[in-house]
Amino acid sequence: MNQLTDVLTAISHPTRRAIIGQLANGPARFLDIARPFDTALNAVTKHLKLLERAGLIEREKRGREVFISFRGEPLREVAGWVHEYERFWNARLNQFEQYFKDKKEKKEKKR
Amino acid sequence: MKKSTKTLEFKFERTIPASPGEVYDAWLDPKIPGNPWNAAEKFILDPKVDGLFYWTLKGTCHYGRFTEIERPGRIQHTWVSPNTLGEESIVTLTFKKQGEDTLMTLVHSDLPDHEQARGHEKGWNYFLEIFREQFGNGSRKKYLWEDAHPSVKK
Repeated sequence: MNQLTDVLTAISHPTRRAIIGQLANGPARFLDIARPFDTALNAVTKHLKLLERAGLIEREKRGREVFISFRGEPLREVAGWVHEYERFWNARLNQFEQYFKDKKEKKEKKR
Repeated sequence: MKKSTKTLEFKFERTIPASPGEVYDAWLDPKIPGNPWNAAEKFILDPKVDGLFYWTLKGTCHYGRFTEIERPGRIQHTWVSPNTLGEESIVTLTFKKQGEDTLMTLVHSDLPDHEQARGHEKGWNYFLEIFREQFGNGSRKKYLWEDAHPSVKK
């Protein structure tokens, strides 16, 4: 699987999205991550493995403890991958909207 | 003719500070930034029912036929390009009065669901939201025509 598929797979599950949301607040230990979920620790381990494979989390050993943190870079890459027509029309429509906003602003300044 | 693949649809909305008539006219005026014809290196535009359009930019050609032209409320035309795999997709624009403004809606439908289009469907809105939270609004990659059309990248 390529990284794009890994990232999309990783964020397709609500628990993994919740984990990302949790880690967005800062690094956490495994048991802290698992605590809010009503699911076996084994299942959380599997979710973390998928997130790790997608490059969305990394583990860091600090003394005796392992902290898991969120990495945003893969999401940044995926965000550049939106459908070409979604990008095309958004860019065109933003420009079109801006033209009218500028026009209105100029008109108001003249008053 | 029956489409050979599954299709996708994208919907966009903008509130434009002008009347529906002004917005409608601007969309069909190649001098106004933002409409498809404005970016073209070369274009032909005949906005009437069964009128055709053509425009090209960096070697990518787009063709279409107007199917509905109802000033100031609605425009519909077909849209064919290498990215539609030669199939006719449909672009529908509506312009609705909303106070002093116009709610402009653009729906691009019947887009062939090919490999490149499929991937992002899973949770796109969700991860964009995270992305916005994580990196702020200003950090999204700027739209570049070349990025959307890698086949014509020089």
